[in-house]
Amino acid sequence: MIGIQHYLFVSASLFCLGFLGILTRRNAVNVLMGIELVLNSANINLVAFSRFGPGNLQGQLFAVFVIVIAAAEVAVALAIVLTLYRLRRTPNLDEADILRG
Amino acid sequence: MDEVLQSVRRFLPELVLTGGLLLVVLVDATRARWRDGVNRFLTAASLLAALVLCGRLYGWSGELFSGMLVLDPMAVFFKVLLVAASLLVIVLFTFDNSRELHGLGQGEFYALMLAVTISNMLLATANDLAMLYLALEMVSITSYVMVAYMKGDRMSNEASLKYILFGAASTGGMLFGLSLLYGMTGTTSLPAIRDFLATGVGEQNRLAVYLFALLIFAGFGFKTAVVPFHFWCPDVYQGAPTPVTAFLSVAPKAAGFAIMLRFFYGSLATSATGPWDLAGTIDWPHILVLISVVTMTVGNVAALTQTNMKRLLAYSSIAHAGFIMMGVVALSENGARGMMIYLLVYLFMNLGAFLVVTLIHNQDRTFDLRDYPGLYRRAPFLTAAMAVFLFSLMGIPPLIGFMGKFYVFAAIIERGPVFYWYAVVAALNAAVAAFYYARILKTMIMDAGNEDRPAFALPALDQIAVMALVAANVLPLLWWSQVEGWARKSLALYTP
Amino acid sequence: MTAGAVVFYLFAAITVGSAAVVVLARSLIYSAFALLFTFFGVAGLYVLLGADFLAATQLLIYVGGILVLLLFGVMLTHKLYDLDLRSEVTQFLPAATIVGGLFLILAWPIDLSFNLLGRQMRLYGVLFQTTWAAGPGRPPAATTAEIGRLFMGQYLLPFEAASILLLVALIGAAMIVRRRPQA
Repeated sequence: MIGIQHYLFVSASLFCLGFLGILTRRNAVNVLMGIELVLNSANINLVAFSRFGPGNLQGQLFAVFVIVIAAAEVAVALAIVLTLYRLRRTPNLDEADILRG
Repeated sequence: MDEVLQSVRRFLPELVLTGGLLLVVLVDATRARWRDGVNRFLTAASLLAALVLCGRLYGWSGELFSGMLVLDPMAVFFKVLLVAASLLVIVLFTFDNSRELHGLGQGEFYALMLAVTISNMLLATANDLAMLYLALEMVSITSYVMVAYMKGDRMSNEASLKYILFGAASTGGMLFGLSLLYGMTGTTSLPAIRDFLATGVGEQNRLAVYLFALLIFAGFGFKTAVVPFHFWCPDVYQGAPTPVTAFLSVAPKAAGFAIMLRFFYGSLATSATGPWDLAGTIDWPHILVLISVVTMTVGNVAALTQTNMKRLLAYSSIAHAGFIMMGVVALSENGARGMMIYLLVYLFMNLGAFLVVTLIHNQDRTFDLRDYPGLYRRAPFLTAAMAVFLFSLMGIPPLIGFMGKFYVFAAIIERGPVFYWYAVVAALNAAVAAFYYARILKTMIMDAGNEDRPAFALPALDQIAVMALVAANVLPLLWWSQVEGWARKSLALYTP
Repeated sequence: MTAGAVVFYLFAAITVGSAAVVVLARSLIYSAFALLFTFFGVAGLYVLLGADFLAATQLLIYVGGILVLLLFGVMLTHKLYDLDLRSEVTQFLPAATIVGGLFLILAWPIDLSFNLLGRQMRLYGVLFQTTWAAGPGRPPAATTAEIGRLFMGQYLLPFEAASILLLVALIGAAMIVRRRPQA
């Protein structure tokens, strides 16, 4: 029988993988992908708790808002990455080093 | 429906600002020649109207919009503070006296300022996890855009990239923590969460509580720039246009502290177990003391070696966040009052310092402290004003900065001998801070150099702006009982 | 094993497997397409959890909007003269250790009690030992109508606030990327 723990395990894996992506990737778009994985893992948590918990829809509604926020965030982030690329011809974070310290 | 209409009556400040935002966007779309002036007027008028409407909100406590927002005297205090911060930044930093903003579009800036003010107000009064996260992200995303405003500038772009990646990661982690909190309590409403946790947390749930408390604190720590979530601060403050930096250093920080106070006190603590006792699981006071001490120290020590004024003020800002946390740690009525007064005075001190830095950059095109010698001769008025702001930041009486520090120190000492060492460390930190603030003054006044540069030509409007801030730093002492009375009146937290 | 369980394991494997590819792949394009599969897997999990509206929203917005945007980002920022869309991984070992530790804290399945140097120690993980809020649960049913009612009722304010967020994101993103004509 598939219970809450199964879904939590999936979301924990996604969270850890996303976090790993954020920590290790050089390319800004890749870090963004890691962030999206983290957000998705939290969403799975919310929906799973909504399903197996007290049975209210608050978790699902929260998840809808998270999706909306993620969309806005990605739009702005990509605008900034594109400008970075336009100015310096590289999307790599290691080479964004004017600001030091 | 009735409830919505009732709530709308008490939501007027934000609604006025939203109306202003839409009008500004529309006017900007007309591409007429007069649109910048009109937009500036519209923005200032909306903010002023919102300020007046906020004042009329006193006297009622309760939940708005089905428990999404909460309104109580403390909420009103923070709303006034946040609107005032935006209004001051709009009025004092114009597109003429900020060289960095020269030639950039004005309409978007005003729209963003209005949007961020609305978001800040929503954040400071959020009462539900979904609203909390939404408001936090609204503030963050609007800030990311404002930091990226100088789009042709590499430093600004790099700063905004670091800001958005670090911020999105922190709030993503915070969201995971919020989801675990929802899982444990079955509800997203903060009062209900508090009631649930008040009944005690089982032994086997401890690890979950530690984890989500850490993750949620990561989100709040990022917004208020405390260690170890402060890494974005110096780069972003340096890369962003100075008016944006000035704004970021006061308003989102205040909103972040407001929601931190409300979240940890209003939802994770109960009177039965004592404030900050997270149902007996986490020893919050000691953890927060540690964070506060590390924040102050890191901020002050790092500021000692900075030569870029914006970076220096960034580290100073981090250090002040550590001081503000003293009020949070003391959590008592006096602690909350200390925190509120500190945030209020910090607004005027910090804006003053940033305004002077902007005006100097406008004339000399430099943010480097090494270019500051000789300013005493070239711009005596500005140097004197900067002295007032720096002394205020140091905490020297009778300036308002001293009052801020006085209240948080008093609140901590009052909590007992356990915290005496903490007060001593804070006092030492204040002394270290005085060193680098004084170094700025010394460079401006006593160092030789730049004799060949002409004297400053400061437009009248800017002189008035600086005078106003100087007055704001000095005069409140005369009416201090009124100020303190206002803070005291605002201390009530609504707990259903 | 029931059919439901098989479908769950299938979607879980797609999701987690693709996520691993996103994080570990050398090529940026592989990461982007693996992300596509991850989002699909998550949408499948939503359906299994009875969140039909959310699954549709996930597909429309995440796959149709965010992923397309990310692909634009990938495609528009590669070197024009060198189609090698490689992305390097830095400092893998320390990060992997931290993340591995985090995963163990989260997903440690067994509740161990043992004696270490005379002190009673207990080893347990967050996900499996914590007592999550219990309740009647929500057996899969159509959620769209009720979500709509909640948007217009209890969640009215966040709904409207989200529209301000989207307006700001729109203005902001357009402003950042737009090339100003040299005036």
